[in-house]
Amino acid sequence: MEATREIYWNIGHGVVIPMYILAFAAFGVLAWGFWKRMPVWRQGKALDRFDRYDERVKRLIAEVFSQEKIFRIKDGGIFHSLFFWGFLILFAGTMLVMVQADFLTPLMHVNLLSGEFYKAFSLVLDLAGLVSLGMLSGLVVRRFVIRPKGLEIVRDDYIVLLLLFVILATGFFLEGARMAATELRQNPQLALFSPIGLLAAKLMASMSMDTLLITHKALWWFHFILVLAFFCAIPFTKLRHILTTSTNAFLAPLEPKGSIATINLEDESVEQFGAAAITDLTWKDLFDTDACTSCKRCQDRCPAYATDKPLSPMKVIKQIGELAEGNPSGNLIETVSQDALWSCTTCRACQDVCPANIEHVNKILEMRRNLTLMEGAFPGDEVRTAVSNIEVNGNPFGLAYAARGEWADCLDVTTMESGEEVDILYFVGCYASFDKRNQQVAKHFITICKAAGIKIGILGKEEKCCGEPLRKLGNEYLYQMMAQENIELIKGYGVKRIVTTCPHCFNTLSRDYKDLGLDIPVEHYSTFLSRLIADERLRLKPESFNFTYHDSCYLGRYMDIIDQPRSILKAAGGHITEMDKSGYDSFCCSAGGGRILAEEKLGSKISEARVAMAQETGAALLVSNCPFCLTMFEDGIKTGGAEGHLQVRDLAEIVAERIVV
Amino acid sequence: MKLLVCIKQVPDLESRFKPNAEGVWYNETDLAWRMNEYDEYAVEQAVQLREKQGDGAELTVLSIGPDRVVEAIKKALAMGADKAAHIQDPAAAAKDPWQIASIIAAYAKDKGFDVIFTGMQSQDRGSAQVGVTVAEQLGYTCTTTIVGFEYDNGNITAKRELEGGIKGVVKLKTPALVTCQLGLNVPRYPTLPNIMKAKKKEITTIPVSDLLKEDAMATTASFHPPAKKGGGIVLEGDVGTLVDQLIAILKDKTAVLR
Repeated sequence: MEATREIYWNIGHGVVIPMYILAFAAFGVLAWGFWKRMPVWRQGKALDRFDRYDERVKRLIAEVFSQEKIFRIKDGGIFHSLFFWGFLILFAGTMLVMVQADFLTPLMHVNLLSGEFYKAFSLVLDLAGLVSLGMLSGLVVRRFVIRPKGLEIVRDDYIVLLLLFVILATGFFLEGARMAATELRQNPQLALFSPIGLLAAKLMASMSMDTLLITHKALWWFHFILVLAFFCAIPFTKLRHILTTSTNAFLAPLEPKGSIATINLEDESVEQFGAAAITDLTWKDLFDTDACTSCKRCQDRCPAYATDKPLSPMKVIKQIGELAEGNPSGNLIETVSQDALWSCTTCRACQDVCPANIEHVNKILEMRRNLTLMEGAFPGDEVRTAVSNIEVNGNPFGLAYAARGEWADCLDVTTMESGEEVDILYFVGCYASFDKRNQQVAKHFITICKAAGIKIGILGKEEKCCGEPLRKLGNEYLYQMMAQENIELIKGYGVKRIVTTCPHCFNTLSRDYKDLGLDIPVEHYSTFLSRLIADERLRLKPESFNFTYHDSCYLGRYMDIIDQPRSILKAAGGHITEMDKSGYDSFCCSAGGGRILAEEKLGSKISEARVAMAQETGAALLVSNCPFCLTMFEDGIKTGGAEGHLQVRDLAEIVAERIVV
Repeated sequence: MKLLVCIKQVPDLESRFKPNAEGVWYNETDLAWRMNEYDEYAVEQAVQLREKQGDGAELTVLSIGPDRVVEAIKKALAMGADKAAHIQDPAAAAKDPWQIASIIAAYAKDKGFDVIFTGMQSQDRGSAQVGVTVAEQLGYTCTTTIVGFEYDNGNITAKRELEGGIKGVVKLKTPALVTCQLGLNVPRYPTLPNIMKAKKKEITTIPVSDLLKEDAMATTASFHPPAKKGGGIVLEGDVGTLVDQLIAILKDKTAVLR
């Protein structure tokens, strides 16, 4: 007997029209639900996230179907991905049945669902259903039994999980009822291709034919109604993420990571800066709150949250969503709280791991802009002093700007003012210029460049703070002032190429300064050295050492520079023991987001937490390549009691010791 | 109500100071400039009073010096002053406190200011004379080093900081002049809308020759770094005498013992 099945067996073809009408009605409810939601998003400001359409669509398809962002975190991620593919297959299968029944059969008289294809079809769908059911059970156990810390359970969770479970279960039982009444008797060989259905059928085998027929019909309609309920529930429950989260893969920014909107300060009509109410955020910011499923992955990775500060990136998104829905004129900053806002180090771990492409960081920056530019607020008096120092002397220490180039006095380094030709401009940065520990890094960098025959120029006392900590604290005005002065100088000297030893200067000069008119190649010294070594302009004599490596946020997550420092250290003779949280999962040193200027008064010290992680690897040496990280770890080692057990050094120091002249 | 606040632009004290060519003041190259710290308290207090008085009040900020002082003036405008007077004088640093005070008094005498605020002293010259001298020349009541200020309908109640941490309370009637000390208030950080508004506020430039009719009463003879002291003292003798000698030195030369 041919392998096929009678579609609408026992239900009757009369069901088709009412079925389609009800289905359209359900889709109508689905569409209406989102239509009703649009005014909430529309409260936000305009933003173009529809450009470069094809790139966006490609990204959407790739991300949604690969589920790569979901299973990046194994806990819950594997279950969800498999459940998704299972459910997707079931959905595709159902669509195929519909196409067969309402298109292929009546119009083309072709039966796709027959023979070998049907056998494969049956098997794949049954297995997909089994996997879905199994994964769903796993998700239920995780949420309700294991109860991971920080995972909130809300009303929607009960509704959604129960609905999905009953849909899958009724699916199998109605298949079983059909098979018990048909295949089991007529074509038992075929039944083997629907193994789960077969199990269900065996459970019902003792029922009389009449009972089977009624059971099947009832289950079919029940299943159908539940599926319609599923569609109707989408806009009103967490199920909305099926559409909102996937749409976010389309709406995600195409600009380089870390891009921040540059305020046009020439526009005299602008009277309000930053975000104090949800109407000051963009519509995409408000849409983000609907794409969030409270998976808490951002919270799990936030260094502030991990050290008991009042910041949770997930909570910030939820709070914005609550205001947008229920209290649009409410004070956004008071709701999120200043303490939470100032605690952010802009490490980007939240955004990096978010499977829904939510943009946490820039929302916090917009609120900080409001605090700084509209209220003159600071996280502490020490920050106000440091900002004032930058304004007066171009560095947060308040040291005389005229002394900025003095670290290079005995090193025969060209100052751009002299007019001499140089190969590259070394933008030193405030810390390497003035901080004793970091001056060593600058000096070693010069040594390395000399050995490689690179002629370095520095701006010396003309150099000013790149403005990054100011920008991250929300002080866009002072940042632009500092930036314009630096850019004018750099352009004036006809600089062709810049290298920096600070990832923050690197990010700011290579990306942020583009909006202000600087468009020349800027490199961090890790990739610069990596090339010098590859080109054999720099040769290292490896001297063996064991170490662990800290990926600075602004190098790893922001700029994808993860391999180059490691290969340099390997060439230098290093044997690495990686920390658990390394690469893109790296744990911030605490100094980003302008917090290098601030005292850490809330919770426990992030730097100590990271130092403890370094110690756990058993290595006695921690290597980093950022002046902020170096400063924070020197601090964290002292205050965290690791002195004598762990040493922190910069990449430049290690390389400089091993140069072969 | 008319208010005046007098500010001075001074070099940031972290700068390295070298004598100028004449050896009578510091060389101005490689210096970072800022508003005199005590004048910031004066501006803040003046702005707070102006805000309390509302629409009827007007606060003018005045500064004497070359064009670079306009930056400090702009900061005062951004903090909340309504208009400014820039007394243009490329050689302001060469004038003594008597002349500076005379210039300010000449400017202020026909304007009818109810209250004048100045800083207690400047961070570079530190004479602490200008405020009091202006009050004297104008015939205003005056009190100095205030760390508290209240105004009510022509009556000022000021708290003054005296030696040893003692505070004195002084009551004055307007027109009055007060000089401001650290602890009076926390100067506000200008908000961006106020910085933008400040760009449009009026700055009247007056050449100093229009206002200065006085000669200096004091000349600066020399500006030089302190002479290098010798090395240490070696105390010798028996322990009892050494101890007495050491205690005497600590008492006389240091603040370690009281």
